[in-house]
Amino acid sequence: MKYKKGRKRAAFGLMLTIVLTAMAGLKVGSFLPIVGDHNSPANSYVANYYIIHALEDTNSPNIVTAVLADYRGFDTLFETCVLFLAGLVVMTILPPQISPEQRKRLVKVDNHSFGGTVLDSSFRLVVPVIMIYGIYVLFHGEVSLGGGFQAGALLACAYLLDRIIPSFDNRLGVLWEEKAVVLAGIGTFFYAFTGMLPMFCGGKFLEFGKLPFGIFLREGTVQLHSAGILMVELGVTLCVMAIIISILEVVLERTDFEEWRKSE
Amino acid sequence: MSWFGFLEAHAPLLVILFPLCGGLLCPFLSKIHGTWGKRVVMVCLFLSVVLSIWQLVLVHEQGVLHYWLGNWRPPYGIELAIDGVNGLVVALVSVISWLTALYSSPFEVVSKGSKGWVRTAGYYSILAFLSVGLLGMASAGDAFNLYVFMEITALSGYGLIAIGEEKGPIAAFRYLLTGTIGASMYLLGVGFLYAATGTLNMTDLSIRLETLGDSPLVILAAACLVVGFGIKMALFPLHGWQPAAHSYAHPAADPMIAGIMIKVPAYGMLRFFFYIFYENSPVMELFFQAIGIMGALGILFGSLKALRYSAYNKILAYSSIGQVGYIAMGFAIGNIYGLMGAVLHILSHAFMKTGLFYTSGALKYKYGIHEITSFGQIYKDMPTTATAMVVCALSMVGLPPFAGFFSKWYLAMGAIENGQYLYVAILILSSLLSAIYFFRIFEELFMGKRIEERKKDGPLPWQMLLPLGAVAAAVIGLGLGNSSLVSELLKPTLLEVFLV
Repeated sequence: MKYKKGRKRAAFGLMLTIVLTAMAGLKVGSFLPIVGDHNSPANSYVANYYIIHALEDTNSPNIVTAVLADYRGFDTLFETCVLFLAGLVVMTILPPQISPEQRKRLVKVDNHSFGGTVLDSSFRLVVPVIMIYGIYVLFHGEVSLGGGFQAGALLACAYLLDRIIPSFDNRLGVLWEEKAVVLAGIGTFFYAFTGMLPMFCGGKFLEFGKLPFGIFLREGTVQLHSAGILMVELGVTLCVMAIIISILEVVLERTDFEEWRKSE
Repeated sequence: MSWFGFLEAHAPLLVILFPLCGGLLCPFLSKIHGTWGKRVVMVCLFLSVVLSIWQLVLVHEQGVLHYWLGNWRPPYGIELAIDGVNGLVVALVSVISWLTALYSSPFEVVSKGSKGWVRTAGYYSILAFLSVGLLGMASAGDAFNLYVFMEITALSGYGLIAIGEEKGPIAAFRYLLTGTIGASMYLLGVGFLYAATGTLNMTDLSIRLETLGDSPLVILAAACLVVGFGIKMALFPLHGWQPAAHSYAHPAADPMIAGIMIKVPAYGMLRFFFYIFYENSPVMELFFQAIGIMGALGILFGSLKALRYSAYNKILAYSSIGQVGYIAMGFAIGNIYGLMGAVLHILSHAFMKTGLFYTSGALKYKYGIHEITSFGQIYKDMPTTATAMVVCALSMVGLPPFAGFFSKWYLAMGAIENGQYLYVAILILSSLLSAIYFFRIFEELFMGKRIEERKKDGPLPWQMLLPLGAVAAAVIGLGLGNSSLVSELLKPTLLEVFLV
C-alpha cells in the first residue's frame, strides 16, 4: 500500500514537471529567432561564412561535410571517440566469458539457418548490394549526401544480416567483440594519425592543406583537403562498423538461443 | 624545425593527444601482449604531465596560448586557449591521471576465462579517456568542443563506476540518467547562446554578449548552464548521483573520479560566468546570489550528512558536496579574493580528496576494510597510509600549514571585503563540523581497539606508496608555496577578468 502511494506521488511529480517544462517551452519559443530568418545572428555570422567560403576553402561541395570534417574536424574526432568508448565500455562491463573452443561449439550447434529458403536466398541478394551501397556512401560523403557514420552503419547492417540469417557453412566470417573493439581503436587512431601528418610538415593538427601528398596532386593544395576528408571518413567508417558489431556480439553471446528453441 | 620548437608550437594539443593515442591503441597492444597496453597508457600520461607543466612555464612567459586546430581562424574553426588558471587545472588533471594509472597497477582487473586481457585493456583505455575528456574540458576555447569533451568524461566515468563494486552498476545507471540531463542542459544553454550571437568561440561570445545585455535568451542560457554544470559538479540540490557513484566506483579509479571529475566542471562554470557573461549586470548578480545560496546550503548539508555515516567512502563523498559548495561560494563572493579562493580550492581539494581516496583504496587492497569502525590502530600496520590520511584530513579541516587553510583564508578575506558576514560564519561553522567528522576517523585510527588477526606481509607495493606520498607532499607544498603561485600566476590572470 505504501509502495503504491509513493508511486502515485512520483507520477504526480513527473506530470507536474512535464507540464511546467512544456509551458516554459512555449514561452521560450517566442524569444528564439524565427526559423529561416536570414537576419538572425545564428544565420548571418559564422554560418554565412561557411556558405560563402566552404567550396573554395575545402573543395567540398557538401557544406555539411566541409564543416563536419574540416572546419570542425576536431569535434568529429572526439565524437568518433565517444562511439569507440561506448563499445569499449560495453565490452569491459560485459567481458567475453567463454573460451574459444566453447565459442566454436556455440556457433556449430546453431547449425541450421534462422529463416527458411526464402530468407536464405534473398539474403544472398541483399547483402552485396548493402555493402556496395555502404562503400558508395563512404566515398560520396564529400560530394553529396553521405559520410563515414552512415557508411559504417550500413556495413555493420550487412554483417548483422550475415550473422543472423545463414547457416554456419555459408557465413562470411565472425568478428568477435574484442577483435572488433581493437579494430575500432585502430580506425579512430587512423583519424588522429591523419591529423598528425600535417604537424610533421609544418602545419597544425588536422590542417589538411599541408598533408604530405603534394607529389600526387599537382593541381593545388585545395585538392589535399579532399584527400584529408576521405581519410578521416575512412577512419570513422571503421570505428562505427566495428563498434556496432562489437555491441551486437556482446548481446548475442549472452543470449541462449537453444533455450528459446526448446521453449517453443 | 627542431624537436624543441615542435613541442613548443603544439604543446596545448599534445597534452591531450598523447593520452588519446594511448587510449586508442591500448586494446590493440594489449591483444599482442598482456601488459603492453597498460605500459603505453602510463608512458603517454607521463608525457602529458611533463608537457602540461612545461606549458605552464610557457604561459607564465608568453601570456595566453592559442592553438588553432586545422589552422582555421576562430570563430570559424576551433581553438584551444590556455591561460594561467586553466593551465593550472590542466597540469592538475594530468598529474592526478598519471598517479592514478600508476596506483591502479597492483589491482589486477582480470576476469574469468581465457580473455583476461580484455578487462585490463578496457580499464586502462577508459582511464586514459577520462583523462582526455577532463584535459579537453579544461583547455577548450570553444563552447561546443567543451560539450564533446564533457560527453567523453561522462561516458568513461560511467564505465569506471560500473566495473566497480557490487552496487557499482546501479550507481552508474543513476549517474547516467542524471548526467545526461546535465549534459543536455549544457547543450541547451550553448544552443540559446548560439541563437543569440551566432558564434561558439568563447572569446567571440564574450565580445558579442557585451552588446546584448540582459536579453531573455542570455538569461535562459545562464540558467541552463547553472543547472548543467551544477549537476556535473554535484552542487547541493543537484548532487543526487554523487554519494553512490563516489562510494561504489572501482577502488583504483575512485581517487580520480572523486578528486577531479567534479572540479573541472566547476572550472567550466567559472569560465562561463566570469570570462563570457558580462558579470556586472543586475541579472548576473541574482545568479551569483543563487549559486552562493546553493553552495552555502551544500556546505551545511554535506558536513551534517557526513557525520551520520560510518562507511569511509560515504563520509568522503558527502564531504565532497560540502567542499564543492566552497568553490560555488567563491564564485558568489565574486571579487578577486573570492575567485582566487575558488581556484585554490579547486587545486587543493583535488589533491586532498584524491589522497583520501588513495588511502581508502589502499585499505581495501590490503585488508578489505570499508568501515571506519574497523580502523583500530591501523597506523601500526600501514604507517605511510596513515600519515597521508592525517595530512589530507587536517588540510580538509583547514589547519594552517596545509593547502586547505589558504583557500579558506582567501574565501574569508573576500567575504569580509564584500561585507558578506553570513558566508564567513558558514565557513567557520563548517570547518568545525568537518573537524568533528575527521576527528571521529582519527579516534578510530589511533585509539580504536586493535584487531589482532591482521597479517603482516610487508609494506604496500611502491606503485601505491608513490602516489600516496606525492599527494601528501603536494598538499603541504601547495600550502607552503601558495603565495608565489598566487602572485605569479593566479592574480595576474584573474585581474584581467575584472579589467574587461
